Amino acid sequence: MNSTNKLVEEIRQRFEIIDVIHPDDQQVILDIDKMHLHTLLSHLKADGFRQLSLLSAVDWIKDNIFELVYIVFNWDTGVHVLARVKLPRDNPRFRTITPIYPGAQYYERDVHEFFGIEFEGNPMSYKPLFLELWDEMPPMRKDFDPEAYSREKFPERVYVPHFVPKVEVIE
Amino acid sequence: MTTNAKDVRKTWEKIADYFRAHSIWMKWYCTGCGAIEMPPTMTSRFDMERLGMGPMATPRQADVLLITGYLSAKTLRRVIYSYEQMQDPKYVVGFGSCTLNGGIYFDSYATMTRLDHYLPVDLYIAGCMPRPEAIMNSFDTLIKMIEKGEAKGWKHYQENHEWYRRNQLHSLKEVYVKDEFHE
Amino acid sequence: MNLVNFAYGLLLLLAAFVFQTTLTGINRKVVARLQRRRGPKFYQQFIDIFKALSKGSTTHGWVFDFGVIMALGGIMATAIFIPFGPLKAVPGMDNIFIIAYVLAVGMLGMAMSASGSGNPWASIGVSRALTNMLAYDIPFMMVVFGLIFAFDSSSLSGLAAIQREGGLLGWNVLRFPLGGIVAMISLQGMLGKKPFDSFIAPAEIASGPMVEYGGRHLGMLFLLHEYSTFIEVSLIVHLFFGGGATVLEFMVKYAVIYTFLNLVSNVLPRFKIDQAVTFFYKVPLAMAVVQTFLIIFLGMGVA
Repeated sequence: MNSTNKLVEEIRQRFEIIDVIHPDDQQVILDIDKMHLHTLLSHLKADGFRQLSLLSAVDWIKDNIFELVYIVFNWDTGVHVLARVKLPRDNPRFRTITPIYPGAQYYERDVHEFFGIEFEGNPMSYKPLFLELWDEMPPMRKDFDPEAYSREKFPERVYVPHFVPKVEVIE
Repeated sequence: MTTNAKDVRKTWEKIADYFRAHSIWMKWYCTGCGAIEMPPTMTSRFDMERLGMGPMATPRQADVLLITGYLSAKTLRRVIYSYEQMQDPKYVVGFGSCTLNGGIYFDSYATMTRLDHYLPVDLYIAGCMPRPEAIMNSFDTLIKMIEKGEAKGWKHYQENHEWYRRNQLHSLKEVYVKDEFHE
Repeated sequence: MNLVNFAYGLLLLLAAFVFQTTLTGINRKVVARLQRRRGPKFYQQFIDIFKALSKGSTTHGWVFDFGVIMALGGIMATAIFIPFGPLKAVPGMDNIFIIAYVLAVGMLGMAMSASGSGNPWASIGVSRALTNMLAYDIPFMMVVFGLIFAFDSSSLSGLAAIQREGGLLGWNVLRFPLGGIVAMISLQGMLGKKPFDSFIAPAEIASGPMVEYGGRHLGMLFLLHEYSTFIEVSLIVHLFFGGGATVLEFMVKYAVIYTFLNLVSNVLPRFKIDQAVTFFYKVPLAMAVVQTFLIIFLGMGVA
């Protein structure tokens, strides 16, 4: 038995959880439908998970989905909860969580910039954060080819070989 | 190599080059991991001050722009700004293989692959990372180059400004420094 | 004033520059040895200054240019009034009040020029420098007024001569030890050495007032720094250490004091500007008040 069981039981009673994984004693991964994420996060925040540690995205290009990953942390018990939601890959949109965790502002800008996911209700998320004057598709998408972009934008040094050794294959 | 009238230095320029060679003030543009090699070069073990070298606080005061490590598109804009703020004669030293040919992230969408496409580099220090011995050795070379009047990257930049500008605009679209913290 | 005075003045300026710059170079070597390094050549400071003067530079408007020239001119003009041991370019003019007033021209020129560059770091640096000046000047001037009261003289060489009559024990630093300590602490502040160097903090405010200077302007600034160091250390040598009957004596005293301050500076961290002001208004000011009280009302130390 581990310390997160009570928490998971409580969450199971209130929300529809698709899957629960326990990678570690103090960590819980919850796969959840995107309808319930905001209520889950506000419940967790009220429950002592005051810190949003990370908001990021994963591009599952074969399944044609984006997965948003929210990690929240409870400073009193030291428990991490990782909530995952799936979005369709074409025209990905999701509701912002800035009313719950205001610190998500920069994460949402980051995810919007690198994955092109739009966060409704957060007008700030359209501002560029890291990339200046970016005009291609968001660079962290799997179908973006960074090498071709680099070759086109940043010319490489061409080396002229001074000496090419002749190799004889001895049978 | 033919010597034309431009290459012949006047006497006062030779004297000035002696002073410039033996007093190298550097602006370290510490973007990458290379910055960690500078403290041992500066402090007791390798003691760069005995060659008259030292770090400076602003690009206006510096003679050498030392770029230690990766340049992304965003930092390159700042580097070009810093370089153009420096006073003539000025020298650029590229540090590490990342400035030379892109290093291990040559295929990244964000990092430069060759610095001399955008700024006139007088000297490259190869290695990933170059040890302080390599840094001291290359600065010895730079001192000799300045003394002989061979480090003329800044003149090259003035004469071929169109070419450099074109390269900068091709890679960066616009050389500007503007972000929400400076609005 | 005639042509001889003029030539003498130029010669004195040259001598002061060569002497102080060599001493700065030697001190860089001393500091390096303190940190177990080899250190630069002893003439490194000359190379640095001449290199800076050989470079090009940009301007940030006429206030910027004019301010530098005004500062350098003001400081050089002050340096002429300072007696170099027994040598005096303008005899009878080595009055503390003249020096204090002409010195202000240089300081104001510097502040004007740095603010004229329009860089926010420069403004922060200038405001800190002026605050610092206000902090060290009050205790220092109080002690100096005490000395003037005690000896009825405000001439630097006159005060020095009075001290030399009493031999080693006649030195003001031994007659008025509290005042001597105040003067040394104030000198540390005047020279902008640690712990009172928050206005040029290179890593925090990018060298403060000097942030926009490059090339020729920076060279002039370095010259200015050498001359102002010469003026400030010479003041202390004349006021508290008996000046110099010979040029050599003066130079030895000067070098010892300057090196001592440099050593002190290199083992101390940096005060924040408010800490520096609080310190100056607490310890040195109290000591200066006590010292002046002892001089004026009890006549202690006055022969």
